[in-house]
Amino acid sequence: MFFRMIFGTLFRQWKKMLMIAFTIALGASLATAMLSVMLDVGDKVNQELKTYGANITVVPKENSVLSSLYEVEGEGGTGAFLREDELGKIKTIFWAFNIIDYAPFINASVTLDDGTKASAVGTWFNHHMELPTGEQLDAGVKSMRSWWEVIDGKWLDEQTGGENGAMVGKALAEKLGIKSGDTLHLNGTVSELTLDVVGVFDAGGEEDDKIFMPIDTAQSLDGLDGKIDSIEVSALTTPENDLAIKAAKDPKSLTIAQYETWYCTAYASSICYQIQEVITDSVAAPVRQVADSEGAILEKTQLLMTLITILSLVGAALGICNLVTASVMERSAEIGLMKAIGAQNSSVSGLVLTEIMVTAIFGGTAGFFAGWGFAQIIGHSVFGSAIAMRPVVIPLVAVLVVIVTLAGCIPAIRMLLRLSPCEVLHGR
Amino acid sequence: MSLLELKNIYKIYGDLHALDNVNLKVEKGEWLSIMGPSGSGKSTMMNIIGCMDKPSKGEVLLDGVDIAKESSKNLTAIRRDKIGLIFQQFHLVGYLTAIENVMLAQYYHSVPDEKEALEALDRVGLADRAKHLPSQLSGGEQQRVCVARALINYPEIILADEPTGNLDDANEKIVVDLFHKLHNEGTTLIVVTHDPEVAEVAQRTVYLRNGKLHKETINENFTGEIKFVSEVEL
Repeated sequence: MFFRMIFGTLFRQWKKMLMIAFTIALGASLATAMLSVMLDVGDKVNQELKTYGANITVVPKENSVLSSLYEVEGEGGTGAFLREDELGKIKTIFWAFNIIDYAPFINASVTLDDGTKASAVGTWFNHHMELPTGEQLDAGVKSMRSWWEVIDGKWLDEQTGGENGAMVGKALAEKLGIKSGDTLHLNGTVSELTLDVVGVFDAGGEEDDKIFMPIDTAQSLDGLDGKIDSIEVSALTTPENDLAIKAAKDPKSLTIAQYETWYCTAYASSICYQIQEVITDSVAAPVRQVADSEGAILEKTQLLMTLITILSLVGAALGICNLVTASVMERSAEIGLMKAIGAQNSSVSGLVLTEIMVTAIFGGTAGFFAGWGFAQIIGHSVFGSAIAMRPVVIPLVAVLVVIVTLAGCIPAIRMLLRLSPCEVLHGR
Repeated sequence: MSLLELKNIYKIYGDLHALDNVNLKVEKGEWLSIMGPSGSGKSTMMNIIGCMDKPSKGEVLLDGVDIAKESSKNLTAIRRDKIGLIFQQFHLVGYLTAIENVMLAQYYHSVPDEKEALEALDRVGLADRAKHLPSQLSGGEQQRVCVARALINYPEIILADEPTGNLDDANEKIVVDLFHKLHNEGTTLIVVTHDPEVAEVAQRTVYLRNGKLHKETINENFTGEIKFVSEVEL
């Protein structure tokens, strides 16, 4: 009998129910789209920000101590180095999949044939790695310094044999009057080399005065085989919170539960901590400006999404409220009759709520798929890629639809409870 | 003990006394008509007897229980168990068939029983119209469905408010005949009407004016022929 009445109402008042379903669908679609984008926007924004360089630097512990004491940005000078053979371990940490790029650096002082002194930097350009996990990675400055503009020649390609090649910064190239295709004769402290200038780049900074070459080449100039000065790491990170800040100061101050939470969350500080665990005598530190910018942009973007979600749900609740109240008013004689022949308030409320919830299921389901579509449109138009559907969105949207629908029904239910059968049946 | 007894009933809306010191007894199996002009308090009295409203003052004893003191929830339960309601406007649920409208009363009372509902429709001569929607029934047929719904739970009182107000003469006769049948089966009937022909076929008729009972007639020769034997000023 109950279901006959439900179906009777749904079919009899299909226009009104369709309007309610449409309102719920609208709210659900916006909630789905915003939640999907909000949950995925972290990765998307991170990926966007990764084009602006590394967000973690790793240096030898001794250099870090000196930098901290004298508040200077040092480039070695203490004789302490990191080990090149440990670089692969960075992709074995717990958050290995969040490490999207990294490059080692070794600095060497060279003298040109005309007596000019210059800074040489050995690094990876597009270093190919086959990791123990089976993953393959092309890492290096070509992807990490995406803002470098090659104004003459091309990028040095390590994978097609570039060990005798070099890239020269724009300022130095202008000073020396060299261009791509020329050769440079460099005198290091232990050896001398002749390198082909593959390209000239404009970095827009101090790197324009330097010569970049493959790491082995730079190491051989100063006899520093297997040694590196620093590593720059580009990692997908979670915005810092109080726990991450506390842990960054001293991980030992955390309780076991806090430690596990922190360690298993992709905070910049926990990734740094894990890098330190695998790189001997190293100190890994987030580049604060980048990390803070990421956090600020993410927080603001997520706040905006949350506000849009809340507003859309409030709008949906108001719409549902109007429609359900109108429906109850229209059916006041029927509801009065039910009460007159013995229906308690709970029975009638249950009937009306079931009708609305059945409508909400249809509206919510349609809205979910529509919202998923909206999310993809947003993903492609804003980030140029699809938005991943997080499973958590489904229960979240379901709960929100139920809450919004119930909230929208409150005035109608209050009206229904106050409805007196003698008033509606006798038209008073 | 009377089945229903109203003692010193008042219903006051501001300065208006819709019912003013009404006293009335209805015995089990009796057929009572309540008559009066518009605004005399008939519907107010029906609402109070039908547990849909409470008096401002006084006692309403149904089976010895003062229903004026009961909570709204208990009044609903009493109405469901003891009273069958028939309305002038029929008040059938438009999207349910005739049999489903009868079963609706069963559903809120206990358990819907399609066979029993069909028997009830058969009693009012509508078994062949059981699957029709109210919109497919004539006014008289709708009222008979309403009668079937009122009697499906075997109530102690059937309370009818202007049951023939929207019917033509032929259908009026059918409904009145049904009341005769129910009365003969022992059902207590209280019929509120402004139609003298309907009122006068009852065993007893009370007349309301300005919220007060002012006259009572008793049809002592209660055989279907209307014959006034005595008239008492109240």
